[in-house]
Amino acid sequence: MNKFVFFGGKGGVGKTTVSCAYGLTCAREGLRTLVVSTDPAHSTSDVFDQQFGDDPQRVEGHENLWAMELDPDEEVQRHMREIKRTMSDQVSPSIVNEIDRQIELAHRTPGAYEAALFDRFIDVMRDSEEYDRVVFDTSPTGGTLRLLALPDFLESWIARLLSKREKSIDLYEKAAIGEREARKKAAEDPIIARLTERKEMFEFAGRTLREDATFFLVLNPDELSIRETRRAIEDLSEYDLGVEGLVVNKIAPEPDAGEEGTGAQYLRQRHATERERIRQIDAEFPEPVVARIRQRVEEVKGDLLDDVAAELDIEVAPGASV
Amino acid sequence: MTLADRIAVYRERVEEWLHGLYHGMIEHPAFELVEKEAEDTEDTFMFACFADAFGIPSPVSYYTAELLPYLGEEFQQFERRMWDRESLIERKGQQYHF
Repeated sequence: MNKFVFFGGKGGVGKTTVSCAYGLTCAREGLRTLVVSTDPAHSTSDVFDQQFGDDPQRVEGHENLWAMELDPDEEVQRHMREIKRTMSDQVSPSIVNEIDRQIELAHRTPGAYEAALFDRFIDVMRDSEEYDRVVFDTSPTGGTLRLLALPDFLESWIARLLSKREKSIDLYEKAAIGEREARKKAAEDPIIARLTERKEMFEFAGRTLREDATFFLVLNPDELSIRETRRAIEDLSEYDLGVEGLVVNKIAPEPDAGEEGTGAQYLRQRHATERERIRQIDAEFPEPVVARIRQRVEEVKGDLLDDVAAELDIEVAPGASV
Repeated sequence: MTLADRIAVYRERVEEWLHGLYHGMIEHPAFELVEKEAEDTEDTFMFACFADAFGIPSPVSYYTAELLPYLGEEFQQFERRMWDRESLIERKGQQYHF
């Protein structure tokens, strides 16, 4: 089992429950485990009945278990403040106002939120030495997939910027005929330094996702979530990321044979449909189903979480921790 | 003034002229051409970095905003060049000094 474990899937299938339960299992096995929620609608706090913040915090009542909830908005603000601060050191005040506009603009584009989340993501992966296992509870499929696709995409973009910049500086150096001082020099260019730094960061993220991460998809036994899972697997494999297994969650229980009330009828039919769907999942997906989790009457928290954790058949393999 | 002096002055003048001609006809245009090309490449770079300044959403502008503190003046010049440039020919034609 790799150090970084991701749980993804359609909205509302119970990713948070499953990732918290898995985190708990790992912690029980003695692995120092961190559960990271990247879903903007954080519900880790609800599962553990404890408020988490942007920094890892010990989960009360459990040993070896920490949790955190990433807050991209906070990160966007921090990023912007930092740029503005560097700017007032570097640039004459007359220009600052003009460029402020551009900075604000850049932090208000739709991509900013994703980029910030991605940055935090990488931070967490980088500063994870003290943990044996990091469990990511991701946002619903679309968002996560886009996030996971970012390293490749950004890497090539930054590489292009870098080569453009190098070329223009090279030309400036060539333009300095004879004694003339070149307007810009590659060795002292802060832009090249910054871009290279960014490029290395994306490379790190891409490498870590490909080599050190395991993906699980959570789904419910219904048509929509099966279809979305199929798409997710296709998309992930496009980025060279393999899905290790599927977790089928919220399976309706079967009523006893003698029960004939309306409720029992409903449940029996529901159960039959779901059994059909599960058969379909088993038959159609090459990925193994690693857990089948019964639907609970109440929200899963506290002792119920232990029950769910027991139903998870994902190996923890402490020996294999990186 | 001796003949030798006059020859020296003459040679000096010829040298100055030749250098002027060389600078005007070869050195400067060449320098200008290369620097223009550098500016053009830089414009492409700037545009790729800050396309959203011209209303084109760019997925990397969040990251390239980090470069602005170092690109301050260049960014303003670039913005002006981009808005002012009327045609490609106009810019490329500048080097001929008609």
